[in-house]
Amino acid sequence: MLPAIGGAGLSIDEVAARLAAALGADLRDPRVQEPDTVVATVERGRLHDVAVRLRGLDGLAYESCNFVAAVDYVNRFETVYHLYSFASNTYLELHVDVPRAQPVVATVSDVWPAADWHEREAWDMMGIRFEGHPDLRRILLKDDWVGHPLRKDYVDSVENHPHV
Amino acid sequence: MSDGFELRGLAERVQYPNLSQFERPNVVTTTVDFIFSWARSHSVFPFTYGLACCAIEMLSSGFARYDIARFGMEVFRPTPRQCDLMIVAGTVNEKMAPVLKRLYEQMSEPKWVMAMGACATSGGPFYDCYNVVNGVDKLVPVDVYVPGCPPRPEALFQGLLELQKKIQAMRIVPPVPAAATPADNATPAGEAPAAPSAAAGGAADAAKVQG
Repeated sequence: MLPAIGGAGLSIDEVAARLAAALGADLRDPRVQEPDTVVATVERGRLHDVAVRLRGLDGLAYESCNFVAAVDYVNRFETVYHLYSFASNTYLELHVDVPRAQPVVATVSDVWPAADWHEREAWDMMGIRFEGHPDLRRILLKDDWVGHPLRKDYVDSVENHPHV
Repeated sequence: MSDGFELRGLAERVQYPNLSQFERPNVVTTTVDFIFSWARSHSVFPFTYGLACCAIEMLSSGFARYDIARFGMEVFRPTPRQCDLMIVAGTVNEKMAPVLKRLYEQMSEPKWVMAMGACATSGGPFYDCYNVVNGVDKLVPVDVYVPGCPPRPEALFQGLLELQKKIQAMRIVPPVPAAATPADNATPAGEAPAAPSAAAGGAADAAKVQG
């Protein structure tokens, strides 16, 4: 474990404790996973509210969203938000369960503009819709692509290969 | 000099054939096909179409160590309008496919396509990938395939030399139709060889102008 890190002079355990105190039940099961990373789970409906509060947290503001990822666990999806706090030099990893039947989650692109293209990629590859996103188009594949290729149950369509 | 060694100039050591005939204004005879295909095949303008790691080898071919300029092909152009060879160096995916096709159509004739590397030839290691076109020949006609992953500059040059052979085999003068050979061209008895056709051609042209 690294000793006290960051400008705030907080150890990672102190960061985890402060996060738990500040966000209470919204931040489920916060735990230290790496010397500089706290991992926690967030309820799908609470994500946007939690994001706003994390961004404005006094002395521990998670001002940067490094990436948004999506994972297919076959029976459910999960979106992962990797946040960084300049003040404490620590990372926070948020996991959000997304049901397979209704793959919708609130956008955080209004909180962290960097999330915009990441959410578009998650939509493109995994078919997760981000509600409130200003421009949720495909970003990597062509616009008329059929399906979302990184899903485990993806079956390629002939329509996607007009030249064969 | 006393030991028999003599310093001589290049012109003395090398025997150029019949240099004396160029000492005054003169003519050289050749065929139109030969001179055009010679010029074309030694001044190919490649299109900078690097899509993946093959592009690094293509760049390397252009630099001093391998020096594509030895074949007169160093003039890489970023616009299809000025190019006659598209070296597709890398993986073509479904999103790039219509772009590649359009750029090919924007190139001026005559034009050639080289599929460089495994990806452009057949999809290569990404054959089963959902977004990869399995070979650029699904989109445009390919003249030369260069295998390799990626091919070394030497392999690219081998492909360029094969392409030169192909270009040199082209003919721009249309072949004489089979029906028009010796019998038709035979001069009618008693007439000067070129006179009738020249007169007829002149009359036809005059009529056209007047009309």
